[in-house]
Amino acid sequence: MSDILLEVENFSGAFRGETGDLAPVLHGVSYALETGLMTAVVGESGSGKSLTALSILGIQPPAFERTGGRILFRGQDLCGLDERAMRRVRGAEISMVFQDARAALNPVFTVGRQLADVWQLQHGGSRKAAMGQAIEALRRVSIPEPERRARQYPHEYSGGMAQRAMIAMAALVCEPSLLILDEPTTGLDVTIQSDIMELIVELSRTRGLTTCLITHDLGVVVETCQNVVVMNAGRVVESGSAEAIFTRPRDAYTQRLLASSVLVEAA
Amino acid sequence: MPPLGKMILRRVLWVFPVAFGVVTMTFFMARVLNGDPTELYSPPEATDELRAQIRARLGLADPLPIQFVHYLRDLLRFDLGISFTTQQSVASDLWDRLPATLELGLAGLLLGIVVGIPLGVVAAVHRERWPDFLVRGTTLSGMALPQFWVGLVLISIFFVDLQVLPGPVGRLPIGVAAPPRITGFLLVDTLLAGDFSLWWQAVRQLALPALTLGFSTAAPIARVTRSAMAEALQSDYVRTAIAMGHSKRVVWFRYSLRNALLPVVTLIGGIAGHIFAGAVLLESIFAWPGLGQYALQAIERSDFAALQGFVIYASLLYVLAFLAVDLLYMFIDPRVRAS
Amino acid sequence: MRDGEAVETVAPPLARGKPAARRRHRPRSYWTLRIGVAVLVFYALVAVLSVFWTPYDPLTPGIGDGYDAPSLAFPLGTDRLGADMLSRLMAGARYDLGIAAVAVAIALTVGTTIGVLSGYFGGTLDTVVMRGVEIFQAFPGLLFAMLVVQAVGAGLVNVILVLSFVGIPDYLRLARAEIQAKKSWQYAEAARLAGNLPWRVAFRHLLPNSIGPLLAFTSINAAFAALVTASLGFLGLGLGPNVPEWGNMIARGQDGIMTGQWWVSFFPGLAILGLTGALYLLGDALADLTDPRRRRQ
Repeated sequence: MSDILLEVENFSGAFRGETGDLAPVLHGVSYALETGLMTAVVGESGSGKSLTALSILGIQPPAFERTGGRILFRGQDLCGLDERAMRRVRGAEISMVFQDARAALNPVFTVGRQLADVWQLQHGGSRKAAMGQAIEALRRVSIPEPERRARQYPHEYSGGMAQRAMIAMAALVCEPSLLILDEPTTGLDVTIQSDIMELIVELSRTRGLTTCLITHDLGVVVETCQNVVVMNAGRVVESGSAEAIFTRPRDAYTQRLLASSVLVEAA
Repeated sequence: MPPLGKMILRRVLWVFPVAFGVVTMTFFMARVLNGDPTELYSPPEATDELRAQIRARLGLADPLPIQFVHYLRDLLRFDLGISFTTQQSVASDLWDRLPATLELGLAGLLLGIVVGIPLGVVAAVHRERWPDFLVRGTTLSGMALPQFWVGLVLISIFFVDLQVLPGPVGRLPIGVAAPPRITGFLLVDTLLAGDFSLWWQAVRQLALPALTLGFSTAAPIARVTRSAMAEALQSDYVRTAIAMGHSKRVVWFRYSLRNALLPVVTLIGGIAGHIFAGAVLLESIFAWPGLGQYALQAIERSDFAALQGFVIYASLLYVLAFLAVDLLYMFIDPRVRAS
Repeated sequence: MRDGEAVETVAPPLARGKPAARRRHRPRSYWTLRIGVAVLVFYALVAVLSVFWTPYDPLTPGIGDGYDAPSLAFPLGTDRLGADMLSRLMAGARYDLGIAAVAVAIALTVGTTIGVLSGYFGGTLDTVVMRGVEIFQAFPGLLFAMLVVQAVGAGLVNVILVLSFVGIPDYLRLARAEIQAKKSWQYAEAARLAGNLPWRVAFRHLLPNSIGPLLAFTSINAAFAALVTASLGFLGLGLGPNVPEWGNMIARGQDGIMTGQWWVSFFPGLAILGLTGALYLLGDALADLTDPRRRRQ
């Protein structure tokens, strides 16, 4: 039985509107990420799964306020950390891959430069060495001709390739213990999706990462994740091992989710 | 030729049709609006014969298409005709006055940038808090106030009341001789002549008009910087940078500012084109012997040739300013090169 | 650039309970909108009022001695010829407001129409129109206005016409951009399929959805028009020497600045600031409120 790397404990939050009123969106969300395993957080759009994840890293939208609960990383409450301490956690301990990779990369800097900057930030060293590492990282995620690609800009990358670069930045250049991926394959072609998932699984395994995969697509969850957390309307409705969730779902919402997904036909 | 080179070439070549359009329009405008300037050039007691001769000499006796051809031919030789007021070639008039306008323009623009951009950054970073409101309030007045009024108020405060700056008598105090003209920029020529007290006098004379211009230009620059920067700060790529652990400083000054500067560059280009065409009203108030004043005089005295020459200069300058901005954009924004 | 927001925002239920913690303050753009409108209404009322009543006759000199400082009798002082400043300011509202308003109205109508047509139909029409606009805009606007006014002569109508002419290109571009962006959208497609004539689709279906940005732009453009009016007045072109237009008043007070009678030029400037400031505020607020990218932040 692995121990718990990150635990979201009774986390609640709300959006403060322009009129000053609070609109609650997360209600007592609780789940745990076991060390070394891949956990999927699934739910439809608006279930609050991304919001929770952003809160882990402290990059939630400014209008979002925590109204209760804690987020414990190795036993320490991340919500209580100040900005400086949080900065030390980001990238070094916990890092994140975002959905639209091309939008998540700065359009006026080359991809190589952005990766190198993060390398220097996390590991120090010269600009030249950092650039070398950046190219290596691109190579490691199977981007062909990495030296040339490093000199290119995000808009010159395809969606899948940009996502690989993003993964390179978050999982290779950074060397975190916990990797969170927010809808990493949404919007990509199906064949590319499976390639990206393969990459993620492989990296998680070889680097011993604890991985949290946020998605609405149950298809990417099956065969990759060991644990599953199901969220709906800001609440966790069910959680457990993947096997248990898929074969013996207890909650009605989970059952509906499974029934409506393509998995049923495959099963 | 690499695609970027082709893009640049296309953009540059495109100037010519526009320039041609400008020149043509000026030709017709001048003739339509000013009618027949023969009267101006003829002495009052001239006979009809004399008038006809003057007309012919002015080239107005020829049919319109021929006039147009002559006009184009002269333009290509930089011959803009003779100014009625100064009795000198318009081209040389423009050339004489250009440095005055440029010097004032550059000083004002520089002030505007140096003050405007930091203010915009501060406002964006402290969005919706008091520094933001302060900046927005000041820039609002900067844009809402007529420049000539600001100039007069500054004169009233600094010259009349406090008496710390000299009055609006031009580039140098009355009676003080200018240094030998090398560049035409007083701040440069005085130093080249080794005359520091003269340099200081020139600086003091430049202060008020430059401050007025700086105030007017800082306002829109600050606003655009603010909104562009605020948008950058809310973007996905800034969120990524923060998620990777970059400090606020790096995020602001490396990752947001670069992106925010794109629209600011466009704005500055537009302002520059406008300023270097001659800030008419400003030069009028401060008795600044630049192109703006020249244009005003030309209008008041119906100086046909001078006006035409000035309009061509100002319009072409605009076109060139936007060309410069577009080219600059190609270097700054990699996405433009792709399309 | 578009920044896609990957965060799901749950459509929040209306806040219930905790009435004690209710912090009811309106968004900032709500207030700026109302302030802007209030100031404009105030100016309009003053302009209308001045037709019927002003403290003294704005056009008659010699009521004061000339260069009277602000006092109880003359709250804003008198100008060089002894005419009351307050009365002249009030009367001036008619000019600065009126000219800007009419000029903007004309520019808006003409510019938007051409822009919509050009943007919708595209092709040769569009190319010709855009080249023309580019060439026209290469001319420094103020100078062009000065030139034309000088040439065709003084007069209210001429000034208004010139001003509207100079303003047309901006509306044209804006309308055209809006139409171009929207003409491939689904509701446009639906309107076409329903059998509407092209011009009907453009004006009845596409244009109304762009009212927001157009209004915001109009407000700011009106501020610019007011400034140009004042500038023309300052140069003494177009209206006649004694007309109490604010720019003109500033010009006439120039000598006073040098000798310490600052109020003759000062107050008209404040009047302009109020007008253009309100228009800018209004434009900003409208832009905020009609921004389609407004997220619930």
